[in-house]
Amino acid sequence: MNLRNRELVPSFSRPASRVMIRKAARYEEDLLALIYESLTEFHLPVKDKTILLKPNLVGLDPQGVMNTHPAVIAATRESFLKLGASRVMIGDGPALDRDTQAILESVRLEEFTGKLGKDFCDLNIDDLERVQLETRATRLKELFLPKTVLGVDFLVSMPKLKTHHWAGVTLSLKNMFGTVPGSCYGWPKNVLHWAGIDRSILDINASARPDFAIVDGILGMEGNGPTQGTPKAAGVLLFGDDPVAVDSTACRVMGLLPDKVDYLARAGTMLGHVETSKIQQLGEGIEAVRTPFSVLPEFTRLLA
Amino acid sequence: MNALEMLELTKTLSTLRNDCLSLLENLQNADGGWGFHASEQSRVEPTSWAVRALFHSAESGDPKNFRRATDFLRSRQLPDGSWPACAEMSAGSWITSLTCSALAADPESAKHVAAGLKWLCDDFPRDSSPWRRFVRRIRNESRLARQNDLYRGWGWTPKTSSWVEPTAFGLMALRDAPAAQLPQNAPQRRELAVALLYDRMCPGGGWNCGNPSVYGVDGEALVLPTCWALLALREAQENPGRALSLAWLRKEFAKIESAASLAVARMTLENYGIERPPTKHDLQDWSAQELAEQGTHVLAWVSTALNPARLWPAVAAKSVSTSASGGAQ
Repeated sequence: MNLRNRELVPSFSRPASRVMIRKAARYEEDLLALIYESLTEFHLPVKDKTILLKPNLVGLDPQGVMNTHPAVIAATRESFLKLGASRVMIGDGPALDRDTQAILESVRLEEFTGKLGKDFCDLNIDDLERVQLETRATRLKELFLPKTVLGVDFLVSMPKLKTHHWAGVTLSLKNMFGTVPGSCYGWPKNVLHWAGIDRSILDINASARPDFAIVDGILGMEGNGPTQGTPKAAGVLLFGDDPVAVDSTACRVMGLLPDKVDYLARAGTMLGHVETSKIQQLGEGIEAVRTPFSVLPEFTRLLA
Repeated sequence: MNALEMLELTKTLSTLRNDCLSLLENLQNADGGWGFHASEQSRVEPTSWAVRALFHSAESGDPKNFRRATDFLRSRQLPDGSWPACAEMSAGSWITSLTCSALAADPESAKHVAAGLKWLCDDFPRDSSPWRRFVRRIRNESRLARQNDLYRGWGWTPKTSSWVEPTAFGLMALRDAPAAQLPQNAPQRRELAVALLYDRMCPGGGWNCGNPSVYGVDGEALVLPTCWALLALREAQENPGRALSLAWLRKEFAKIESAASLAVARMTLENYGIERPPTKHDLQDWSAQELAEQGTHVLAWVSTALNPARLWPAVAAKSVSTSASGGAQ
């Protein structure tokens, strides 16, 4: 079993990360071609591997404004299969509603992916593995995490580009909250709120570290996200081999300062890169796609 | 629907129920418990739901299997009386309520249930402690979320906040238990929990996890929390909020697209004696195998919903008004 890469590497001894920005104005575009071409650039070690895509499925979303869009999920799944992956699963553990099937129906996921059967994993009720928390960013000593998350060869965090009313932004690192099982910690996973959202994000990502991140920024959400904000079209997809670098770049696209986001600043010391000098920028430049997002008054310090 | 179609549907649903029960029986692990899916490790939550589906009925299942299941549940109880969410966890959780309800009718489990209820009544959420209320007032946190912190229910895990679903399950556990097993402070806990549920109701009726308003934006209700809250409030004093929430559920029922919500909403409406409106989907749209893939709890909920002889939640003969001002009729 792959228990994920949990080694912590200080920023100064990490190689540069790579982040790619691609323009995509609408979900009706040929996303398969765009995503496949983008992933090819990264030469990912996915041949004959089992992949888990972890989208952000936060709630019932018939309008398609709060969850990772199913067109992006389906095109990513297809792309990894074309790259030679032996199996591409999709999994999430929604935080506010235990009826995961209702959420899947509301976003019409299988209309885009085809029948998933056991290739969809409800992470809220998966078998569990005890993980000792070595980062100890929170006071929690251990977390019970889904065996599927810990056991796959390659984990991809697929958030939507959103601001967040407690954490400032919710991107590929915050998206990993969805790997914490509701059957242990509830709906919402309130023990993480009490342990501190920012610090919990670090503990979770150090324990179940995504190997890659893809951000759905075609239509994002600004203001009172992650569920009650205002839809905001940014017309981009972001790809990267370092979730911290991807989230930092996503912040810059939103007109926000990544080093002012508490958990991102901390993540930059041990999980990835925040500074632009350590991020190799591929595809579009940030300026070409910058779309300022509004934030709640509590987070005006994030504004660039 | 004409009489012939009705007869056909009744037969289909009866077949589905038998399939669900057979599958549920087959999914019992050698240790007596159930996992969330076939061949997964046994856990307390799916086992508690399976016990209710298979054995809490006028037509109960195999007594040997019942004994194996209750033995499993009792073996997982922690020394402090609580039940953990998974085998290796050393702290109790909301599942204690569910397990107390599952074991309530078993005389051999009486001491275990009493210990569980004592733990439950001694477990106060941290958000409503006097210290937290003081901190909240100084920080002016009331603008973030409107709620009355004097009320106290139960959290998903100890020393966190009160939430709607664990509070509803806590109330049901206190209601299901024989009076002799209830701790002294049970009436007080019940009163605080009922008040909390009404306080956390969404403005338009119904409940979500427990956030009726965040940053001044009204929360939207969800089917499952609404159903559990309504089932917990069935015996409580009439309140306009309950009628409003029943009306919300009745309206929402037609739009439900998942088997889990459909089954629990069906049981809730029947528990209040309310006629079910027509729906886009019905339970026969799924096979027993498909339900099992969604989780043992879903399989158990659907089996229970299709059982007219179920003891919980019972099918009521009387109907309750769904008008906001109405009372029990």
